[in-house]
Amino acid sequence: MKRKFRIFRYQPDKDKKPYYKEYEIEIEDGWTVLDALNHIHWYVDGTLAYRRACRSEICGSCAMRINGKNRLACKTQIKTLGSGTIKIEPLPGLPIIKDMVVDMDPFFRNLEKVKPYFIKYSPLPEEEQLQTPEERDLINEAAMCILCGACTTSCPSFWANPDYLGPAALLKAYRFIFDSRDEGGKERLEIINDRNGLWRCHAIFNCTEACPKNINITHYIKKLQNLAVNNQF
Amino acid sequence: MLKPKWFYPSYRKDVGEWAWILHRLGGLALMLYLLLHIFVTNRLAAGPEAFNSTMKALSTPTFKFLEWGLWGVILFHAFNGIRLVLIDFAGASKYQKTLFWIAFALFLALWIPAAWKFFL
Repeated sequence: MKRKFRIFRYQPDKDKKPYYKEYEIEIEDGWTVLDALNHIHWYVDGTLAYRRACRSEICGSCAMRINGKNRLACKTQIKTLGSGTIKIEPLPGLPIIKDMVVDMDPFFRNLEKVKPYFIKYSPLPEEEQLQTPEERDLINEAAMCILCGACTTSCPSFWANPDYLGPAALLKAYRFIFDSRDEGGKERLEIINDRNGLWRCHAIFNCTEACPKNINITHYIKKLQNLAVNNQF
Repeated sequence: MLKPKWFYPSYRKDVGEWAWILHRLGGLALMLYLLLHIFVTNRLAAGPEAFNSTMKALSTPTFKFLEWGLWGVILFHAFNGIRLVLIDFAGASKYQKTLFWIAFALFLALWIPAAWKFFL
């Protein structure tokens, strides 16, 4: 079956402006968008640049905008995209280096701000620290994040203000603040309880829609907002 | 490197983003209405004739239509506002889409039939 792809192109060494290029290729049943990109890259146009690694939705490298919405190319079955031309663009809100390759630095800088690691002040226990199933349930979904950036770059608040921590960083903050083994909750809450933190979330739900791991990110940001308010007054 | 844009109108909008856009635009419209409202009320200070002539200017069909529109904006902003309060304080994020459609249905149910009150 033949399918048309309309792909965002920008090569900084020769293009002054980005443009869209159409490719029509023969696809096989069961192909994902990543399979199609690989086919184009290997057999049609070797200059096409995009990130990929695991091709099994766990590394988060191939997040891009497919038919207007952020998704993982390796998770998106071409079959699910209707019958029209498939439009592929880089993630919005980040500087574009080349074609689908964006500069993820602003994203990871924001992540770093929330201290995305375990903080422990009391002496380290000799054995592993167990959690009850109830304690684990609190962070189970939030810990599924693969840091692909689909959520943060789908957020209009982040587009307008790249200093906004964004859904991914806030979700990471939630994951540690609500972890029964972590002791850095207070300092993290102080960092995110900021005009460029929690309070720039306007419940637009683009992050939740975009998340390839189906995490209800807005729900967790709201839980953090509630925690911040209850701590303050 | 290509600089990012501050808004991407072509990003696929789901219920949540539409609700946000309508809520924001509605909020702006309500603010403009309040300014107009203060101006109109202030005409009272200029005496009964001035006020009556202003009121007459405001009873043209165009303003009737705008008034009906205003009623719509108020309704949507109010019902979606309740949806947002539930999301913020009652942990209703999981039901945001259902809540939006309930708010939208209430808005239509009170807005469309109200045209009869405004125009007849």
